[in-house]
Amino acid sequence: MKVTVNKADSYENESAVINAVTVTDDIRNAVDILRGSGASIPVVSEGDTLMLRASSIYYIESVDKRTYVYTKDACYETKHRLYELEEILGVNFLRCSKAMIVNIRKIRSVRAELNARLSAELLNGERLIISRGYVKDLKKKLGVV
Amino acid sequence: MNKAKLIFNHTLMISTAILFGLGVRTAVLFFATGSYMINWEWYIPLSIIAVGFLCSLASLLLYDDPATSRANMRVRICLHFLLVLAVVSISGCFFGWYSDLAGYLLILIMYILIYAFVWISTVWMLRTDEKKINEAINEIRDEE
Repeated sequence: MKVTVNKADSYENESAVINAVTVTDDIRNAVDILRGSGASIPVVSEGDTLMLRASSIYYIESVDKRTYVYTKDACYETKHRLYELEEILGVNFLRCSKAMIVNIRKIRSVRAELNARLSAELLNGERLIISRGYVKDLKKKLGVV
Repeated sequence: MNKAKLIFNHTLMISTAILFGLGVRTAVLFFATGSYMINWEWYIPLSIIAVGFLCSLASLLLYDDPATSRANMRVRICLHFLLVLAVVSISGCFFGWYSDLAGYLLILIMYILIYAFVWISTVWMLRTDEKKINEAINEIRDEE
């Protein structure tokens, strides 16, 4: 594939366009890396440790000092703490409450509650709450003033 | 936003709303009678801030995080309305904001109008934010 890199005048103007006949796994990986979701985290599934791509994570929850990672239809445990995962996973992930991190790219829509919280519906149909204190962070990440 | 900041902000907002209400009241009385003078006791301005503070404590009822369901929130709003009304009524009587039933009814009408205005504004702002956030999410959302 022919690759061209042009210098942009600011970070806001940075963009990447891929012209491909078919979207292969390599292209998906490249897109994940460009979007900042190329990171992987070790999780435990039935006694085995495997690496889970950030792009497949829907949300992460901490319950009784254990951290659980949820994908579209599976749940895994990880030894990482939430604050560590926040650093590893990058910009697409948002702390939405004291015990939860959500992948913003997996949110289908949000609904404002009267007590200033947001109820978020994920792509797999699950609903979770974005606490009042973290709504500002979401707006900042999305560039909503 | 922590609770102290919430109480501080609400104290300022409610005190301003009370001043606005009193302003409207005096304007109505002026235009109704042709002449109206305010003669405030020394403690009236402080009483407005004190009532603002007491009413802001009731706001904790609304913004306490464990409430999840919409039904629960509606009950909390009703309780909040009654609690703030009780604070305004008792404080108004104590500080001499009204002296007869007609005066109290005027306070009551002002309270209902301000309460409704605050909630309509709040819902409008929440819906505006909701729309903006959903538009931004649509731009970056993964395919299902």
